[in-house]
Amino acid sequence: MTAVEAPGAARPEHGFAHASEAEFAHILDFYEVRWEYEPQVFPILWDLSGTVLESFAPDFYLPDIDLFVEMTTLRQQLVRKKNRKVRRLRELYPGIRIKLFYARDFRALMLKYGRAALVGELSGTVGQVGPRPDVEVVPEVSADATIDLQPKSGTADSSGDSPATGERRSRAARRRAGRRAAAARGASSPAN
Amino acid sequence: MKHSQDLHSDVAEVLLSEDQIRAKVSELGQRIAADYAGREITLVSVLKGSLPFMADLMRQIDLPLRIDLMEVSSYGGSTTESSGLVRILKDLSAPIDGRDVLLVEDIIDTGLTLNYLLRYLRGKNPRSIKVCALLDKPARRLVEIPLDYVGFEIPDAFVVGYGLDYGEVYRNLRFVGVLRPEAYES
Repeated sequence: MTAVEAPGAARPEHGFAHASEAEFAHILDFYEVRWEYEPQVFPILWDLSGTVLESFAPDFYLPDIDLFVEMTTLRQQLVRKKNRKVRRLRELYPGIRIKLFYARDFRALMLKYGRAALVGELSGTVGQVGPRPDVEVVPEVSADATIDLQPKSGTADSSGDSPATGERRSRAARRRAGRRAAAARGASSPAN
Repeated sequence: MKHSQDLHSDVAEVLLSEDQIRAKVSELGQRIAADYAGREITLVSVLKGSLPFMADLMRQIDLPLRIDLMEVSSYGGSTTESSGLVRILKDLSAPIDGRDVLLVEDIIDTGLTLNYLLRYLRGKNPRSIKVCALLDKPARRLVEIPLDYVGFEIPDAFVVGYGLDYGEVYRNLRFVGVLRPEAYES
């Protein structure tokens, strides 16, 4: 089973879908931990003909420690969906190491670095840019759909995320997220 | 930052008492002394949080040893904004090439700082380098690094005391306690 390179993996600039992702990237940069943003897309659901119905592109890959990180600082409904995707990823790609970074993890990180006051600006719906979380579509498979849960090698959707996932955001939205994160950083009053 | 004058009142729960810490530090010191018997180690402590642990631990290691101190900038701190990169605010005062080094840390959570420090110190060609941490918070780990000596594995809570601070306060508490959310929530 193979993952495919995300379409945006080679782009020279990083626009983030969420302000918390931009902040996390800055933390990694600070501690000189190399990262890649959504470098791979993992198909996680196929129909009987082998067409990819659903894919998952974890937010970060840290090559030095061979770890994917998925940020999930949004509302509970989306957390459940991401939990399901991560479970599926682990089942299908047992060699992949992935850590789900919950809102509480992000909050603890901000607290540790004396930036607790920024949590509200950088997490949850406020920090979200691009498509609103309540219109982000992750396909719920209907009861009469014909689904093959067994992966088929070489059937990965070469276009990256399945169009049905709706998880890819526009570049402009990502840039807006980066700018919002930068503005938030500028407004901070470091406590350490 | 809304700490009260009575620091104890900002603590929701004492996680590790003074006696528990003392006993554990003694145990760690004896283990380290046994493991390094016949050798001379350099204890490297990272300011500021590790200072009380270092001071107590070194007196429990019955071996000839040297100590040294380092300080690195922390993400979000006022000294970091210009470069956006971690900086060594205080470097070692003596070379460590060819020496057995024990890095003494107060707490390991994400492992980001430790990962950086180990890479930095390995670049100075010590004979060996190991890690001794009083507290290990594995729930927060991003970078998995083997810890050679661990005092306590603690739950996922924000702790202060025995060197650990919030906003530079609470370091002088003799115990390790969980900070009340009211002390850091705005």
